[in-house]
Amino acid sequence: MEYNLTSDEVAQQSGAWRTHPNTIVHQLTVAQPRWMQILFYGGLTLLSIIGLIALGVRLLEGLRITALTSPMGWGMWVAVYIYFIGLSAGSFLLSTLIYVFGMEQYEKAGRMALLSALFALMAGMLFVWIDLGHPWRFWHVFTRWNYTSVLAWEVIAYGFYITVLASELWLLMRCDLADLALRTTGWRQIFYRVVSLGFRCPQNQNQYQYCHTQSMQRVKTLGMIGVPVAIIVHGGTGSIFAVVLAKPYWYSGLFPIIFLVSALASGAALMTFLYGFFGRKDEDHFAITRGLANLMILFIGIDLILITAEFLVGLYGNIPEHREVYHALLFGQFRYTFWVGQMLFGILIPILLVTLPRMRHNTFWLGLGGLSAVIGIVAVRFNLVVPAYIVPMLPGLDHAINEARWAHSYFPSFWELASSIGGVALVVLPFSIAFRLLPLFHEIGEQFKETADPMPVTPEQSRVVDQQFQQDPGGVPNV
Amino acid sequence: MEKYARQREVWDRMADAFQPTESQTSVEPLADRSGKAGVGTQPTPPKAQATPINLVGRREALQHMTQNVLAGLTLALWSSQPRAVEAAASELEALELPELPPPQPGEDVLMRMMRDLQRALAKPKEQRHWVMVIDLRKCVGCHACTIACVTENALPPGVLYRPVMEEEVGTYPHVARRFLPRPCLQCGNPPCVPVCPVHATWKGADGIVVIDYDACIGCRYCITACPYGARSFDFGEHHSDNAPHRAEYDMVASPEYGQFRQRQGQQSPVGNARKCHFCKHRIEKGMLPQCVTTCIGRATFFGDANDSANLVSELIASPNVMRLKEELGTEPSAYYLV
Repeated sequence: MEYNLTSDEVAQQSGAWRTHPNTIVHQLTVAQPRWMQILFYGGLTLLSIIGLIALGVRLLEGLRITALTSPMGWGMWVAVYIYFIGLSAGSFLLSTLIYVFGMEQYEKAGRMALLSALFALMAGMLFVWIDLGHPWRFWHVFTRWNYTSVLAWEVIAYGFYITVLASELWLLMRCDLADLALRTTGWRQIFYRVVSLGFRCPQNQNQYQYCHTQSMQRVKTLGMIGVPVAIIVHGGTGSIFAVVLAKPYWYSGLFPIIFLVSALASGAALMTFLYGFFGRKDEDHFAITRGLANLMILFIGIDLILITAEFLVGLYGNIPEHREVYHALLFGQFRYTFWVGQMLFGILIPILLVTLPRMRHNTFWLGLGGLSAVIGIVAVRFNLVVPAYIVPMLPGLDHAINEARWAHSYFPSFWELASSIGGVALVVLPFSIAFRLLPLFHEIGEQFKETADPMPVTPEQSRVVDQQFQQDPGGVPNV
Repeated sequence: MEKYARQREVWDRMADAFQPTESQTSVEPLADRSGKAGVGTQPTPPKAQATPINLVGRREALQHMTQNVLAGLTLALWSSQPRAVEAAASELEALELPELPPPQPGEDVLMRMMRDLQRALAKPKEQRHWVMVIDLRKCVGCHACTIACVTENALPPGVLYRPVMEEEVGTYPHVARRFLPRPCLQCGNPPCVPVCPVHATWKGADGIVVIDYDACIGCRYCITACPYGARSFDFGEHHSDNAPHRAEYDMVASPEYGQFRQRQGQQSPVGNARKCHFCKHRIEKGMLPQCVTTCIGRATFFGDANDSANLVSELIASPNVMRLKEELGTEPSAYYLV
């Protein structure tokens, strides 16, 4: 399978789609050696099966399979939940840089950002769902909605956000999906017909351009709605924690902001990783990866500043229940997740890989830097949630009750780890398939590159094109 | 209701044991030896009580027992309709406050608290404000309240409503131990209530923060939000988990909120947040919370703070009173005398 195609090569090959309809998908997305694909999908399937088993065990046995205790109420699953919400909000906000704020140099990564935002949100929903003591009562949030609860507001925000996200993604791809639905055969055709939701695009360049312009305008509007929604989604997720008076580690106005900035960092890291490794290898590939990596470093830097500020204030204030959390992070039971996970993987390695002269000119190393940050931010999320619980709410409460479920320490149980890894695989598997099948890296009007008709610019011209199309759908309009 | 149904069953059996002589004894006062009265006959009304200081008269006690036995028999007939039973029983029991002797010098402080309780129960629910006062000078750290609470509410492992915190001060040989029992403080401004996404927990009119187990989705946000660690999560474990079979004591239905739920599988209250509710099911029947009744040093007091004649009102007016983490503005309803 060929890869590393330039856009010109793709354009040359595009004439051949009609003869080999099903090859288009491979040419336009990603192509890896066969053994790597087998290994990747085999591994993911295996992990997904483990995830399904762990999910089944969790649903049958309840939360007794976790290592959670009454004082340490939220653990691994909540950390993974906010991790994915962060990835989603970060990826989405990056996409709005393109579609709302006009940073068009990253346009080729835009659909990918939205697709990962959509799947990351679904992963987040999965993890917050399995964290419930009564998962089958999740609908109570809608029927018994409590307006004073941040969590209840968040659920509404997630619903709104997923709608914006999915519509934006569909609008961006609808012309290409319609095109693919016509050109492919077999199950692929069924797939494209389903995801295009029956939308059909004009079959010539001018009409296509017009249709595309319309899509982009709507995407911009949706993106403008989406920016505050995404900020509410992740800033609000931070507020779930920040409003808790009982936990001084969280109870800070900076906390939701840290959530947002680390969300942007994780989103940029995911984009760097995905685009660096699986993005279309054309002449823009390096520049885009490089730009995304720089964004990632920028956000990691701001995140570091904010975290330093929180730590300094907390340590200097010396209030016992505040200070103890930082001590546990820096020197205590969370020192490995802090120094190795958060600092080494989340900050140091990415910065080194993006700045060292030998690495920074190679998309592989840049992508690896992204991957390192993506992994490191899992530790960041864990460190945001779990350490707050280790300080007993009243002095002596940790020794007052000699019960396993009242321990003030936490390490995820086997099933928590299995369901976390397996649950991630359960989302990454459909994501990878969607990544291959969906036209994420199409260029505007790619299939019409040979015919170089001018595109309609003004609404007047567009209307003419529209009328001509209605009169003679097959004809070439003459603007 | 099952708990009281069971009690009636016991009374039933007692009545059965008396069967052969029932016509002679159970309702018949010993003083009246005519031997004519049968089961159906109305027992002679108790004579006018000239001595109010005395305990309940024997005749009256027997009358009560007979009424209970009859009620138990009648209710047993309807046992196929649990709702009807519940309604009937609650009607009966709403009237059945324990009769207390008038105050006398040197009596147990529990008697006064029970009288105060009955006075509070006579008021509308909105006018009561249940308050607990714990005298730390009297607490000896026996943990009897913790255990009594576990037995009363049939709590599983890991769920505790009233732990006692211990603290050792000084160095040998001058060492002292301090104890701090911690029920749910039933805050006036509870941080656990607004965070619940499904409105499954709220502050009742009488000041007690309650949980609707059927509404709770088990997100544990309230547990996180409580600054006193007063909420536990029911993970669905049993005391006899590693035993070959489930012990009977693990299957005892908890009388909490008068609901008598049995913990089975993942049915509520398994998978729910749980908390102390000042034994709401007891106080509404005229009984003091189990921890108050159990306290061997009478260090825990309970009553209605809206009634100035109440013992707790007197106690919380004293200068040596404090509340936990008052700086958070939670306005706890549990006071400590130090």
